[in-house]
Amino acid sequence: MARRVKLKGILISALLAVLTLTFLYPMYFMLINSLKTRSEYFVNQFNLPSGQLQLSNYATMISQFRILNLFKNSFIVSSLTVVGLLIVGTFASFVFAKYRFRGRTAIYLAVIATMFIPSQVTIIPLYVLFSRIGLVSTYWSVVLSYLALFLPEAILLMTANFRGIIDELLEAAEIDGCNYFQKVWNVVLPMGRAAIFLSIIFYFIMAWNDLFTPMIFLQSMEKRTVMVALAALMGRYTGAPTLQFAGLLLSAVPALVVYILFQRHIIRGLSVGAIK
Amino acid sequence: MKKRKNFLAILLSLLPVFAILAVFRVYPIVTSLLKSFTNWDGLYRSDWVGLQNYVNFVRSGQFWMVLRNTLILLINVPLQVFIGLVVALLLYEKVKGWQFYRAMVYTPQIISAVIIGFLFKIFFGFNGPFNLVLKAVGLGSLAIEWFGNSYTALGVIVFSVVWFSIGWQAIVILGGMSAIPSSVFEAAIIDGANYWQRAFKIVVPMLVRVIEFAVIASGVWTLTQLFPFLFAMTRGGPGYETSTLDYMIYLKSFGLGFGRDYGTATAIAVLLLVLVLALTLIEMQVANRADDWS
Repeated sequence: MARRVKLKGILISALLAVLTLTFLYPMYFMLINSLKTRSEYFVNQFNLPSGQLQLSNYATMISQFRILNLFKNSFIVSSLTVVGLLIVGTFASFVFAKYRFRGRTAIYLAVIATMFIPSQVTIIPLYVLFSRIGLVSTYWSVVLSYLALFLPEAILLMTANFRGIIDELLEAAEIDGCNYFQKVWNVVLPMGRAAIFLSIIFYFIMAWNDLFTPMIFLQSMEKRTVMVALAALMGRYTGAPTLQFAGLLLSAVPALVVYILFQRHIIRGLSVGAIK
Repeated sequence: MKKRKNFLAILLSLLPVFAILAVFRVYPIVTSLLKSFTNWDGLYRSDWVGLQNYVNFVRSGQFWMVLRNTLILLINVPLQVFIGLVVALLLYEKVKGWQFYRAMVYTPQIISAVIIGFLFKIFFGFNGPFNLVLKAVGLGSLAIEWFGNSYTALGVIVFSVVWFSIGWQAIVILGGMSAIPSSVFEAAIIDGANYWQRAFKIVVPMLVRVIEFAVIASGVWTLTQLFPFLFAMTRGGPGYETSTLDYMIYLKSFGLGFGRDYGTATAIAVLLLVLVLALTLIEMQVANRADDWS
Protein backbone atom coordinates (compact mmCIF):
# COMPACT_ATOMS: atom_id res chain seq x y z
CA MET A 1 0.00 0.00 0.00
CA ALA A 2 2.68 2.48 1.03
CA ARG A 3 4.72 1.53 -2.01
CA ARG A 4 1.77 2.17 -4.27
CA VAL A 5 1.25 5.61 -2.78
CA LYS A 6 4.91 6.37 -3.32
CA LEU A 7 4.78 5.15 -6.91
CA LYS A 8 1.78 7.34 -7.58
CA GLY A 9 3.65 10.34 -6.19
CA ILE A 10 6.60 9.69 -8.49
CA LEU A 11 4.34 9.28 -11.49
CA ILE A 12 2.51 12.54 -10.80
CA SER A 13 5.78 14.40 -10.25
CA ALA A 14 7.14 13.03 -13.51
CA LEU A 15 4.05 14.14 -15.46
CA LEU A 16 4.19 17.61 -13.94
CA ALA A 17 7.91 17.85 -14.63
CA VAL A 18 7.40 16.96 -18.31
CA LEU A 19 4.67 19.57 -18.56
CA THR A 20 6.91 22.16 -16.94
CA LEU A 21 9.64 21.36 -19.46
CA THR A 22 7.32 22.06 -22.38
CA PHE A 23 6.69 25.49 -20.89
CA LEU A 24 10.34 26.21 -20.20
CA TYR A 25 11.81 24.85 -23.41
CA PRO A 26 10.70 27.69 -25.72
CA MET A 27 12.40 30.19 -23.41
CA TYR A 28 15.54 28.13 -23.33
CA PHE A 29 15.38 27.85 -27.12
CA MET A 30 15.07 31.62 -27.51
CA LEU A 31 17.91 32.23 -25.08
CA ILE A 32 20.48 29.89 -26.61
CA ASN A 33 19.71 30.92 -30.17
CA SER A 34 19.76 34.62 -29.42
CA LEU A 35 23.40 34.13 -28.39
CA LYS A 36 24.44 32.60 -31.72
CA THR A 37 25.43 34.01 -35.07
CA ARG A 38 23.01 33.62 -37.94
CA SER A 39 25.03 30.91 -39.67
CA GLU A 40 25.53 29.01 -36.44
CA TYR A 41 21.76 29.03 -35.93
CA PHE A 42 21.10 27.54 -39.35
CA VAL A 43 23.68 24.81 -38.79
CA ASN A 44 22.25 23.74 -35.49
CA GLN A 45 19.26 25.14 -33.65
CA PHE A 46 19.34 22.79 -30.70
CA ASN A 47 22.90 23.00 -29.45
CA LEU A 48 24.27 25.43 -26.96
CA PRO A 49 26.21 28.21 -28.69
CA SER A 50 29.73 27.02 -29.43
CA GLY A 51 32.61 29.34 -28.83
CA GLN A 52 31.96 32.96 -28.09
CA LEU A 53 28.57 34.13 -26.98
CA GLN A 54 27.12 36.60 -29.44
CA LEU A 55 25.86 39.55 -27.46
CA SER A 56 25.59 41.62 -30.63
CA ASN A 57 21.89 40.75 -31.05
CA TYR A 58 21.15 42.32 -27.71
CA ALA A 59 23.36 45.28 -28.50
CA THR A 60 21.40 45.82 -31.73
CA MET A 61 18.11 45.62 -29.86
CA ILE A 62 19.25 48.34 -27.51
CA SER A 63 21.12 50.66 -29.88
CA GLN A 64 19.20 50.30 -33.15
CA PHE A 65 15.74 49.28 -31.98
CA ARG A 66 16.00 51.43 -28.90
CA ILE A 67 14.14 48.83 -26.93
CA LEU A 68 14.62 50.80 -23.74
CA ASN A 69 12.62 53.63 -25.27
CA LEU A 70 9.93 51.09 -26.22
CA PHE A 71 9.95 49.80 -22.64
CA LYS A 72 9.47 53.37 -21.46
CA ASN A 73 6.43 53.82 -23.72
CA SER A 74 4.91 50.52 -22.60
CA PHE A 75 5.63 51.42 -19.00
CA ILE A 76 3.91 54.80 -19.28
CA VAL A 77 0.83 53.31 -20.93
CA SER A 78 0.57 50.42 -18.45
CA SER A 79 1.16 52.59 -15.38
CA LEU A 80 -1.33 55.27 -16.36
CA THR A 81 -3.87 52.52 -17.05
CA VAL A 82 -3.37 50.95 -13.64
CA VAL A 83 -3.49 54.27 -11.78
CA GLY A 84 -6.69 55.26 -13.55
CA LEU A 85 -8.24 51.85 -12.91
CA LEU A 86 -7.45 52.07 -9.21
CA ILE A 87 -8.76 55.59 -8.70
CA VAL A 88 -11.99 55.09 -10.61
CA GLY A 89 -12.43 51.43 -9.70
CA THR A 90 -11.90 51.67 -5.94
CA PHE A 91 -14.58 54.29 -5.32
CA ALA A 92 -17.09 52.61 -7.58
CA SER A 93 -16.45 49.16 -6.10
CA PHE A 94 -16.76 50.50 -2.56
CA VAL A 95 -20.14 51.98 -3.40
CA PHE A 96 -21.31 48.79 -5.10
CA ALA A 97 -20.12 46.70 -2.17
CA LYS A 98 -21.25 48.73 0.82
CA TYR A 99 -24.02 51.18 -0.07
CA ARG A 100 -27.66 50.37 -0.64
CA PHE A 101 -29.46 52.45 -3.21
CA ARG A 102 -32.24 52.04 -5.74
CA GLY A 103 -31.17 50.22 -8.88
CA ARG A 104 -27.85 49.07 -7.49
CA THR A 105 -28.09 45.53 -8.84
CA ALA A 106 -29.27 46.70 -12.25
CA ILE A 107 -26.50 49.29 -12.58
CA TYR A 108 -23.88 46.84 -11.37
CA LEU A 109 -24.95 44.14 -13.81
CA ALA A 110 -25.06 46.66 -16.66
CA VAL A 111 -21.46 47.64 -15.91
CA ILE A 112 -20.34 44.01 -15.62
CA ALA A 113 -22.17 42.96 -18.79
CA THR A 114 -19.81 45.07 -20.92
CA MET A 115 -16.89 42.99 -19.67
CA PHE A 116 -16.67 40.56 -22.55
CA ILE A 117 -17.18 43.01 -25.41
CA PRO A 118 -13.89 42.91 -27.31
CA SER A 119 -12.02 46.01 -28.39
CA GLN A 120 -12.48 45.10 -32.06
CA VAL A 121 -16.18 45.99 -31.78
CA THR A 122 -15.46 49.57 -30.72
CA ILE A 123 -12.15 50.21 -32.45
CA ILE A 124 -13.39 51.94 -35.63
CA PRO A 125 -15.67 54.58 -34.03
CA LEU A 126 -13.00 55.13 -31.36
CA TYR A 127 -10.34 55.65 -33.99
CA VAL A 128 -12.50 58.20 -35.78
CA LEU A 129 -13.32 59.90 -32.47
CA PHE A 130 -9.67 60.05 -31.38
CA SER A 131 -8.49 61.38 -34.70
CA ARG A 132 -11.12 64.13 -34.54
CA ILE A 133 -10.03 65.29 -31.11
CA GLY A 134 -6.33 64.83 -31.91
CA LEU A 135 -5.60 61.96 -29.56
CA VAL A 136 -4.28 59.48 -32.13
CA SER A 137 -0.60 58.75 -31.47
CA THR A 138 -0.87 59.92 -27.87
CA TYR A 139 -0.68 57.62 -24.87
CA TRP A 140 -4.12 58.81 -23.79
CA SER A 141 -5.88 57.13 -26.70
CA VAL A 142 -4.62 53.75 -25.52
CA VAL A 143 -4.99 54.46 -21.80
CA LEU A 144 -8.60 55.62 -22.15
CA SER A 145 -9.48 52.57 -24.26
CA TYR A 146 -7.89 50.28 -21.69
CA LEU A 147 -9.74 51.98 -18.84
CA ALA A 148 -13.05 51.36 -20.56
CA LEU A 149 -12.01 47.81 -21.43
CA PHE A 150 -10.70 46.73 -18.01
CA LEU A 151 -12.91 48.71 -15.60
CA PRO A 152 -15.88 46.29 -15.52
CA GLU A 153 -13.69 43.31 -14.66
CA ALA A 154 -11.65 45.28 -12.12
CA ILE A 155 -14.88 46.44 -10.48
CA LEU A 156 -16.15 42.85 -10.38
CA LEU A 157 -12.95 41.74 -8.69
CA MET A 158 -12.75 44.59 -6.18
CA THR A 159 -16.45 44.64 -5.30
CA ALA A 160 -16.34 40.94 -4.45
CA ASN A 161 -13.37 41.63 -2.18
CA PHE A 162 -14.73 44.82 -0.57
CA ARG A 163 -17.94 43.01 0.43
CA GLY A 164 -15.81 41.12 2.92
CA ILE A 165 -14.84 44.31 4.76
CA ILE A 166 -16.48 44.25 8.18
CA ASP A 167 -19.26 46.84 8.50
CA GLU A 168 -18.32 47.63 12.10
CA LEU A 169 -14.97 48.97 10.94
CA LEU A 170 -16.68 51.39 8.58
CA GLU A 171 -19.11 52.43 11.29
CA ALA A 172 -16.28 52.95 13.76
CA ALA A 173 -14.48 55.11 11.21
CA GLU A 174 -17.65 57.15 10.78
CA ILE A 175 -18.05 57.62 14.53
CA ASP A 176 -14.43 58.76 14.65
CA GLY A 177 -15.44 61.49 12.27
CA CYS A 178 -14.04 60.11 9.03
CA ASN A 179 -15.61 61.55 5.93
CA TYR A 180 -16.15 59.52 2.77
CA PHE A 181 -12.63 59.93 1.42
CA GLN A 182 -11.06 59.18 4.78
CA LYS A 183 -13.12 56.01 5.01
CA VAL A 184 -11.83 54.88 1.64
CA TRP A 185 -8.27 55.82 2.57
CA ASN A 186 -8.21 54.44 6.11
CA VAL A 187 -10.47 51.38 5.85
CA VAL A 188 -11.12 50.29 2.26
CA LEU A 189 -7.56 50.55 0.95
CA PRO A 190 -5.92 48.61 3.79
CA MET A 191 -8.68 46.01 4.10
CA GLY A 192 -9.09 45.52 0.36
CA ARG A 193 -5.39 45.49 -0.40
CA ALA A 194 -5.41 41.92 -1.70
CA ALA A 195 -7.78 42.78 -4.56
CA ILE A 196 -6.14 46.16 -5.16
CA PHE A 197 -2.69 44.63 -5.33
CA LEU A 198 -3.86 41.88 -7.66
CA SER A 199 -5.45 44.47 -9.96
CA ILE A 200 -2.22 46.44 -10.12
CA ILE A 201 -0.15 43.44 -11.17
CA PHE A 202 -2.74 41.85 -13.39
CA TYR A 203 -3.74 44.87 -15.45
CA PHE A 204 -0.18 46.08 -15.71
CA ILE A 205 0.74 42.79 -17.38
CA MET A 206 -2.40 42.85 -19.54
CA ALA A 207 -1.62 46.36 -20.78
CA TRP A 208 2.04 45.52 -21.28
CA ASN A 209 1.25 42.46 -23.41
CA ASP A 210 -1.52 43.87 -25.57
CA LEU A 211 -0.96 44.41 -29.28
CA PHE A 212 -4.23 45.36 -30.96
CA THR A 213 -5.18 48.70 -29.39
CA PRO A 214 -1.72 50.34 -29.44
CA MET A 215 -1.10 49.02 -32.94
CA ILE A 216 -4.12 50.93 -34.23
CA PHE A 217 -3.78 54.09 -32.14
CA LEU A 218 -0.04 54.66 -31.80
CA GLN A 219 1.14 55.36 -35.31
CA SER A 220 4.07 57.59 -34.47
CA MET A 221 7.30 55.63 -34.17
CA GLU A 222 8.24 57.60 -31.07
CA LYS A 223 5.15 56.50 -29.14
CA ARG A 224 4.97 52.81 -30.10
CA THR A 225 4.79 50.25 -27.31
CA VAL A 226 7.17 47.32 -27.24
CA MET A 227 4.65 44.77 -28.58
CA VAL A 228 3.83 46.98 -31.58
CA ALA A 229 7.49 47.43 -32.41
CA LEU A 230 8.12 43.72 -31.88
CA ALA A 231 5.38 42.83 -34.37
CA ALA A 232 7.05 45.12 -36.90
CA LEU A 233 10.46 43.62 -36.17
CA MET A 234 9.16 40.08 -36.65
CA GLY A 235 7.58 40.97 -39.97
CA ARG A 236 10.60 42.77 -41.37
CA TYR A 237 13.67 40.89 -40.18
CA THR A 238 12.77 37.31 -41.10
CA GLY A 239 16.32 36.89 -42.41
CA ALA A 240 17.80 37.54 -38.97
CA PRO A 241 16.20 34.95 -36.70
CA THR A 242 18.77 35.26 -33.92
CA LEU A 243 18.02 38.97 -33.66
CA GLN A 244 14.31 38.12 -33.53
CA PHE A 245 14.90 35.72 -30.66
CA ALA A 246 16.70 38.44 -28.73
CA GLY A 247 13.76 40.77 -29.34
CA LEU A 248 11.14 38.20 -28.36
CA LEU A 249 12.98 37.27 -25.18
CA LEU A 250 13.70 40.84 -24.11
CA SER A 251 10.06 41.87 -24.61
CA ALA A 252 8.89 39.02 -22.41
CA VAL A 253 11.29 39.75 -19.58
CA PRO A 254 9.55 42.67 -17.78
CA ALA A 255 6.23 40.85 -17.41
CA LEU A 256 8.04 37.69 -16.35
CA VAL A 257 9.95 39.58 -13.67
CA VAL A 258 6.71 40.99 -12.30
CA TYR A 259 5.28 37.46 -12.30
CA ILE A 260 8.27 35.93 -10.53
CA LEU A 261 8.07 38.61 -7.83
CA PHE A 262 4.33 38.40 -7.24
CA GLN A 263 3.50 34.88 -8.38
CA ARG A 264 1.78 33.91 -5.12
CA HIS A 265 -0.58 36.88 -5.19
CA ILE A 266 -1.53 36.30 -8.80
CA ILE A 267 -2.29 32.61 -8.33
CA ARG A 268 -4.19 33.15 -5.11
CA GLY A 269 -6.22 35.91 -6.75
CA LEU A 270 -6.99 33.74 -9.76
CA SER A 271 -8.13 30.87 -7.58
CA VAL A 272 -10.72 32.92 -5.71
CA GLY A 273 -11.96 35.34 -8.31
CA ALA A 274 -12.45 34.44 -11.89
CA ILE A 275 -10.45 36.67 -14.16
CA LYS A 276 -9.75 36.00 -17.75
CA MET B 1 -28.81 65.25 5.83
CA LYS B 2 -26.86 62.01 6.01
CA LYS B 3 -28.96 60.54 3.21
CA ARG B 4 -28.13 63.45 0.97
CA LYS B 5 -24.44 63.19 1.76
CA ASN B 6 -24.54 59.50 0.94
CA PHE B 7 -26.33 60.19 -2.30
CA LEU B 8 -23.66 62.65 -3.31
CA ALA B 9 -20.86 60.20 -2.46
CA ILE B 10 -22.54 57.42 -4.45
CA LEU B 11 -23.14 59.68 -7.42
CA LEU B 12 -19.61 61.08 -7.51
CA SER B 13 -18.12 57.60 -7.13
CA LEU B 14 -20.08 56.12 -9.99
CA LEU B 15 -20.02 59.10 -12.32
CA PRO B 16 -16.47 58.51 -13.68
CA VAL B 17 -17.35 54.89 -14.47
CA PHE B 18 -20.50 55.94 -16.31
CA ALA B 19 -18.64 58.68 -18.17
CA ILE B 20 -15.82 56.38 -19.29
CA LEU B 21 -18.12 53.55 -20.30
CA ALA B 22 -20.53 55.92 -22.05
CA VAL B 23 -17.89 57.65 -24.14
CA PHE B 24 -15.51 54.79 -24.87
CA ARG B 25 -17.87 51.81 -24.98
CA VAL B 26 -21.54 52.73 -25.43
CA TYR B 27 -20.99 55.55 -27.91
CA PRO B 28 -18.73 53.45 -30.19
CA ILE B 29 -21.12 50.50 -30.02
CA VAL B 30 -24.10 52.66 -30.97
CA THR B 31 -22.05 54.27 -33.74
CA SER B 32 -21.01 50.85 -35.05
CA LEU B 33 -24.64 49.75 -35.04
CA LEU B 34 -25.80 52.82 -36.99
CA LYS B 35 -22.87 52.86 -39.41
CA SER B 36 -23.28 49.18 -40.19
CA PHE B 37 -26.23 50.24 -42.35
CA THR B 38 -24.12 52.70 -44.36
CA ASN B 39 -21.16 52.67 -46.74
CA TRP B 40 -19.06 54.64 -44.25
CA ASP B 41 -15.39 55.29 -45.05
CA GLY B 42 -14.58 57.10 -41.80
CA LEU B 43 -14.60 60.49 -43.45
CA TYR B 44 -17.50 62.02 -45.34
CA ARG B 45 -19.13 59.18 -47.20
CA SER B 46 -21.88 57.70 -45.11
CA ASP B 47 -24.95 56.86 -47.19
CA TRP B 48 -27.72 54.62 -45.95
CA VAL B 49 -27.51 51.24 -47.66
CA GLY B 50 -29.89 49.27 -45.46
CA LEU B 51 -28.95 45.67 -44.83
CA GLN B 52 -26.60 45.55 -47.79
CA ASN B 53 -23.40 45.16 -45.75
CA TYR B 54 -24.84 42.18 -43.92
CA VAL B 55 -26.31 40.60 -47.05
CA ASN B 56 -23.08 41.05 -49.02
CA PHE B 57 -21.00 39.62 -46.22
CA VAL B 58 -23.10 36.45 -46.04
CA ARG B 59 -23.45 36.14 -49.84
CA SER B 60 -19.76 36.64 -50.56
CA GLY B 61 -18.91 33.39 -48.87
CA GLN B 62 -16.64 35.16 -46.39
CA PHE B 63 -19.18 34.57 -43.68
CA TRP B 64 -19.09 30.82 -44.23
CA MET B 65 -15.32 30.86 -44.34
CA VAL B 66 -15.22 32.65 -40.99
CA LEU B 67 -17.82 30.28 -39.58
CA ARG B 68 -15.73 27.29 -40.65
CA ASN B 69 -12.57 28.78 -39.16
CA THR B 70 -14.31 29.67 -35.91
CA LEU B 71 -15.78 26.18 -35.54
CA ILE B 72 -12.36 24.60 -36.12
CA LEU B 73 -10.71 27.00 -33.68
CA LEU B 74 -13.37 26.27 -31.05
CA ILE B 75 -11.97 22.73 -30.86
CA ASN B 76 -9.41 24.30 -28.52
CA VAL B 77 -12.08 24.76 -25.83
CA PRO B 78 -12.75 21.11 -24.91
CA LEU B 79 -9.05 20.34 -25.30
CA GLN B 80 -7.86 23.07 -22.95
CA VAL B 81 -10.60 22.39 -20.40
CA PHE B 82 -9.88 18.65 -20.37
CA ILE B 83 -6.10 18.99 -20.15
CA GLY B 84 -6.50 21.77 -17.59
CA LEU B 85 -8.73 19.49 -15.53
CA VAL B 86 -6.18 16.67 -15.65
CA VAL B 87 -3.39 19.06 -14.65
CA ALA B 88 -5.54 20.40 -11.81
CA LEU B 89 -6.12 16.83 -10.60
CA LEU B 90 -2.37 16.21 -10.68
CA LEU B 91 -1.65 19.41 -8.77
CA TYR B 92 -4.41 18.60 -6.30
CA GLU B 93 -2.38 15.64 -5.03
CA LYS B 94 0.09 18.18 -3.66
CA VAL B 95 3.20 16.15 -4.42
CA LYS B 96 6.54 17.60 -3.39
CA GLY B 97 7.15 20.89 -5.15
CA TRP B 98 3.57 21.20 -6.41
CA GLN B 99 3.57 24.97 -5.85
CA PHE B 100 6.54 25.30 -8.17
CA TYR B 101 4.76 23.26 -10.85
CA ARG B 102 1.63 25.34 -10.35
CA ALA B 103 3.62 28.53 -10.90
CA MET B 104 5.32 27.09 -14.00
CA VAL B 105 2.12 25.90 -15.59
CA TYR B 106 0.79 29.45 -15.51
CA THR B 107 3.84 31.12 -17.13
CA PRO B 108 2.58 31.11 -20.75
CA GLN B 109 -0.29 33.35 -19.61
CA ILE B 110 2.22 35.96 -18.48
CA ILE B 111 4.02 36.06 -21.82
CA SER B 112 2.36 38.19 -24.44
CA ALA B 113 0.27 36.23 -26.93
CA VAL B 114 2.16 38.15 -29.61
CA ILE B 115 5.41 36.53 -28.52
CA ILE B 116 3.80 33.09 -28.26
CA GLY B 117 2.31 33.49 -31.71
CA PHE B 118 5.67 34.32 -33.27
CA LEU B 119 7.36 31.51 -31.36
CA PHE B 120 4.92 28.95 -32.73
CA LYS B 121 5.36 30.42 -36.18
CA ILE B 122 9.10 29.82 -35.92
CA PHE B 123 8.72 26.37 -34.34
CA PHE B 124 6.37 25.23 -37.09
CA GLY B 125 8.20 27.00 -39.90
CA PHE B 126 9.34 24.88 -42.84
CA ASN B 127 12.91 24.79 -41.54
CA GLY B 128 11.82 25.15 -37.94
CA PRO B 129 12.62 22.90 -34.99
CA PHE B 130 9.43 20.82 -35.27
CA ASN B 131 10.12 19.72 -38.83
CA LEU B 132 13.79 19.10 -37.99
CA VAL B 133 12.73 16.75 -35.19
CA LEU B 134 10.32 14.99 -37.53
CA LYS B 135 13.08 14.46 -40.07
CA ALA B 136 15.49 13.31 -37.40
CA VAL B 137 13.14 10.55 -36.23
CA GLY B 138 12.48 9.39 -39.78
CA LEU B 139 9.12 11.04 -40.28
CA GLY B 140 10.45 13.45 -42.89
CA SER B 141 7.40 12.93 -45.10
CA LEU B 142 5.29 14.62 -42.42
CA ALA B 143 7.53 17.68 -42.38
CA ILE B 144 5.32 19.94 -44.45
CA GLU B 145 4.80 23.67 -44.76
CA TRP B 146 2.41 23.91 -41.80
CA PHE B 147 1.20 27.39 -42.68
CA GLY B 148 0.83 26.44 -46.34
CA ASN B 149 -2.81 25.39 -46.13
CA SER B 150 -5.59 26.62 -43.91
CA TYR B 151 -6.33 23.32 -42.15
CA THR B 152 -2.85 22.63 -40.82
CA ALA B 153 -2.41 26.35 -40.09
CA LEU B 154 -5.60 26.33 -38.01
CA GLY B 155 -4.35 23.14 -36.35
CA VAL B 156 -1.13 24.84 -35.27
CA ILE B 157 -3.13 27.81 -33.99
CA VAL B 158 -5.38 25.49 -31.96
CA PHE B 159 -2.30 23.78 -30.56
CA SER B 160 -0.69 27.09 -29.56
CA VAL B 161 -3.90 28.33 -27.93
CA VAL B 162 -4.28 25.12 -25.92
CA TRP B 163 -0.65 25.31 -24.80
CA PHE B 164 -1.18 28.94 -23.83
CA SER B 165 -4.40 28.29 -21.88
CA ILE B 166 -3.73 25.09 -19.92
CA GLY B 167 -2.35 27.10 -17.00
CA TRP B 168 -5.40 29.32 -16.70
CA GLN B 169 -7.72 26.32 -16.78
CA ALA B 170 -5.67 24.39 -14.24
CA ILE B 171 -5.55 27.29 -11.76
CA VAL B 172 -9.25 28.11 -12.05
CA ILE B 173 -10.31 24.46 -11.76
CA LEU B 174 -7.89 23.93 -8.88
CA GLY B 175 -9.49 26.93 -7.17
CA GLY B 176 -12.87 25.20 -7.55
CA MET B 177 -11.45 21.98 -6.14
CA SER B 178 -10.17 23.61 -2.98
CA ALA B 179 -13.81 24.36 -2.14
CA ILE B 180 -14.55 20.63 -1.87
CA PRO B 181 -14.48 19.68 1.82
CA SER B 182 -11.81 17.15 2.72
CA SER B 183 -14.36 15.02 4.56
CA VAL B 184 -15.69 13.99 1.17
CA PHE B 185 -12.33 12.44 0.34
CA GLU B 186 -11.91 10.82 3.71
CA ALA B 187 -15.29 9.17 3.23
CA ALA B 188 -14.26 8.00 -0.24
CA ILE B 189 -10.99 6.54 1.04
CA ILE B 190 -12.84 4.61 3.74
CA ASP B 191 -15.24 3.33 1.06
CA GLY B 192 -12.19 2.08 -0.80
CA ALA B 193 -12.45 4.28 -3.89
CA ASN B 194 -9.26 4.25 -5.93
CA TYR B 195 -7.62 7.29 -7.50
CA TRP B 196 -9.50 7.40 -10.79
CA GLN B 197 -12.83 6.60 -9.17
CA ARG B 198 -12.20 9.41 -6.74
CA ALA B 199 -11.18 11.80 -9.47
CA PHE B 200 -13.93 11.25 -11.96
CA LYS B 201 -16.83 10.07 -9.80
CA ILE B 202 -16.43 12.47 -6.88
CA VAL B 203 -14.30 15.46 -7.81
CA VAL B 204 -15.47 16.14 -11.34
CA PRO B 205 -19.22 16.09 -10.59
CA MET B 206 -18.64 18.61 -7.82
CA LEU B 207 -16.92 20.90 -10.31
CA VAL B 208 -19.77 21.24 -12.79
CA ARG B 209 -20.21 24.94 -12.01
CA VAL B 210 -16.53 25.74 -12.45
CA ILE B 211 -16.16 23.69 -15.63
CA GLU B 212 -19.23 25.33 -17.09
CA PHE B 213 -17.71 28.74 -16.41
CA ALA B 214 -14.37 27.63 -17.87
CA VAL B 215 -16.05 26.40 -21.07
CA ILE B 216 -18.07 29.57 -21.66
CA ALA B 217 -15.22 31.89 -20.72
CA SER B 218 -12.79 30.19 -23.08
CA GLY B 219 -15.48 30.06 -25.77
CA VAL B 220 -15.94 33.82 -25.57
CA TRP B 221 -12.18 34.21 -25.37
CA THR B 222 -11.75 32.20 -28.59
CA LEU B 223 -14.25 34.43 -30.35
CA THR B 224 -12.64 37.67 -29.20
CA GLN B 225 -8.98 37.33 -28.22
CA LEU B 226 -7.25 35.42 -31.00
CA PHE B 227 -6.02 38.57 -32.75
CA PRO B 228 -2.35 38.37 -31.63
CA PHE B 229 -2.13 34.65 -32.50
CA LEU B 230 -3.56 35.18 -35.97
CA PHE B 231 -1.58 38.33 -36.57
CA ALA B 232 1.67 36.60 -35.69
CA MET B 233 1.09 33.30 -37.45
CA THR B 234 -1.05 33.75 -40.55
CA ARG B 235 -2.33 37.35 -40.72
CA GLY B 236 -5.72 35.74 -41.28
CA GLY B 237 -4.61 34.54 -44.69
CA PRO B 238 -4.07 33.40 -47.30
CA GLY B 239 -7.00 35.67 -48.23
CA TYR B 240 -9.48 35.19 -45.41
CA GLU B 241 -8.72 31.48 -45.04
CA THR B 242 -7.75 31.63 -41.37
CA SER B 243 -9.71 34.74 -40.33
CA THR B 244 -12.18 34.94 -37.50
CA LEU B 245 -14.87 37.59 -36.99
CA ASP B 246 -12.63 39.79 -34.85
CA TYR B 247 -9.73 39.48 -37.26
CA MET B 248 -11.99 40.27 -40.21
CA ILE B 249 -12.99 43.56 -38.54
CA TYR B 250 -9.32 44.48 -38.47
CA LEU B 251 -8.66 43.43 -42.06
CA LYS B 252 -11.65 45.35 -43.42
CA SER B 253 -10.78 48.55 -41.59
CA PHE B 254 -7.05 48.80 -40.92
CA GLY B 255 -5.59 45.84 -42.82
CA LEU B 256 -3.22 46.86 -45.59
CA GLY B 257 -4.44 45.97 -49.03
CA PHE B 258 -7.95 45.06 -47.96
CA GLY B 259 -9.50 48.48 -48.54
CA ARG B 260 -11.12 50.72 -45.99
CA ASP B 261 -14.56 49.23 -45.75
CA TYR B 262 -15.77 50.63 -42.43
CA GLY B 263 -19.39 49.84 -43.34
CA THR B 264 -18.80 46.11 -43.64
CA ALA B 265 -16.35 46.13 -40.73
CA THR B 266 -18.94 47.67 -38.41
CA ALA B 267 -21.54 45.17 -39.64
CA ILE B 268 -19.18 42.33 -38.66
CA ALA B 269 -18.57 44.09 -35.34
CA VAL B 270 -22.32 44.08 -34.70
CA LEU B 271 -22.51 40.34 -35.46
CA LEU B 272 -19.65 39.68 -33.06
CA LEU B 273 -21.25 41.87 -30.41
CA VAL B 274 -24.55 39.99 -30.61
CA LEU B 275 -22.74 36.66 -30.38
CA VAL B 276 -20.67 37.68 -27.36
CA LEU B 277 -23.60 39.27 -25.50
CA ALA B 278 -25.69 36.15 -26.10
CA LEU B 279 -22.96 33.97 -24.61
CA THR B 280 -22.51 36.35 -21.67
CA LEU B 281 -26.24 36.24 -20.95
CA ILE B 282 -26.23 32.45 -21.14
CA GLU B 283 -23.34 32.39 -18.71
CA MET B 284 -25.11 34.75 -16.31
CA GLN B 285 -28.41 32.85 -16.56
CA VAL B 286 -27.36 29.23 -16.68
CA ALA B 287 -24.86 29.52 -13.88
CA ASN B 288 -27.13 31.81 -11.94
CA ARG B 289 -24.28 34.23 -11.80
CA ALA B 290 -26.69 37.14 -11.56
CA ASP B 291 -27.37 36.01 -7.99
CA ASP B 292 -23.76 35.38 -7.13
CA TRP B 293 -22.58 38.69 -8.45
CA SER B 294 -25.02 41.16 -6.96
